[in-house]
Amino acid sequence: MAIDSYRFLDFATRQVMKAWAARQEHGVIPFTPVAKPLSECTVALISTAGVARNDDRPFDQEGERRDPWWGDPSFRAIPLDTTVKDVRLHHMHIDPRFGEADLDVVLPMRRLTELSCERAVGRPAPKYYSIMGAILEPAELVEKTAPDIVARMRAENVDAAALFPA
Amino acid sequence: MIPDLTRAVGVPRLAGISYPMGRPLGRPHDSDGQRAVLRATLELLASASGPDTYIELPFNWHESPAQARNASKDLPPPPIVELLRKKPWLLANLYSGRIPHEP
Repeated sequence: MAIDSYRFLDFATRQVMKAWAARQEHGVIPFTPVAKPLSECTVALISTAGVARNDDRPFDQEGERRDPWWGDPSFRAIPLDTTVKDVRLHHMHIDPRFGEADLDVVLPMRRLTELSCERAVGRPAPKYYSIMGAILEPAELVEKTAPDIVARMRAENVDAAALFPA
Repeated sequence: MIPDLTRAVGVPRLAGISYPMGRPLGRPHDSDGQRAVLRATLELLASASGPDTYIELPFNWHESPAQARNASKDLPPPPIVELLRKKPWLLANLYSGRIPHEP
């Protein structure tokens, strides 16, 4: 692999992530071909930066401080008209200042609108979604949160979604 | 970001990028750079023909890893790092994935 996945991590984090990657087992990997050209698709975005609107419930940072092995497994919807002034980033393992200076660093909403204006993609979905990163026990995230997001995206006629880890 | 780990989980399509954590699309206010990353990522939707398709995006970060880490040096560490400084023996749990709970 030409990309050194780990070059930006400190030594301890790098060792932990290598151990996780070596231990991880996956079952059958799902794959759904995209049924139409990207220029006709409704595209949604997901960020793991813990983005929540200031008028919505924040992600539970206090819970993670009480029990550092825990991470808030819930999700937040980010409507299309949201701007950087309307949100905070709650992921506690990254520097939130970059995304709070320019939301497109973690959730490229304006960039996707631009790509749809030049007809490279069909249209942006009406809502984007965010979850927290660094959740050590992902059972609820996998079994409840992800299907909930999928159900919403189906209702919003989303054809394809791109998830950006933060 | 950490494509090794994402691939190990098993995803339909993956675009790896050698950018630091917290900045997957690039630098703040670099619209052209962010748009190039998003465009290359979305093109994978159409170009991938089967599961576990992996491409590496040809973008380079403008700082060294040490410079990128130093930019966030003044932040408090995440709670798990603080805990492991106090109870380093728990690092074995983090490695192995046997997750205990506090207190």
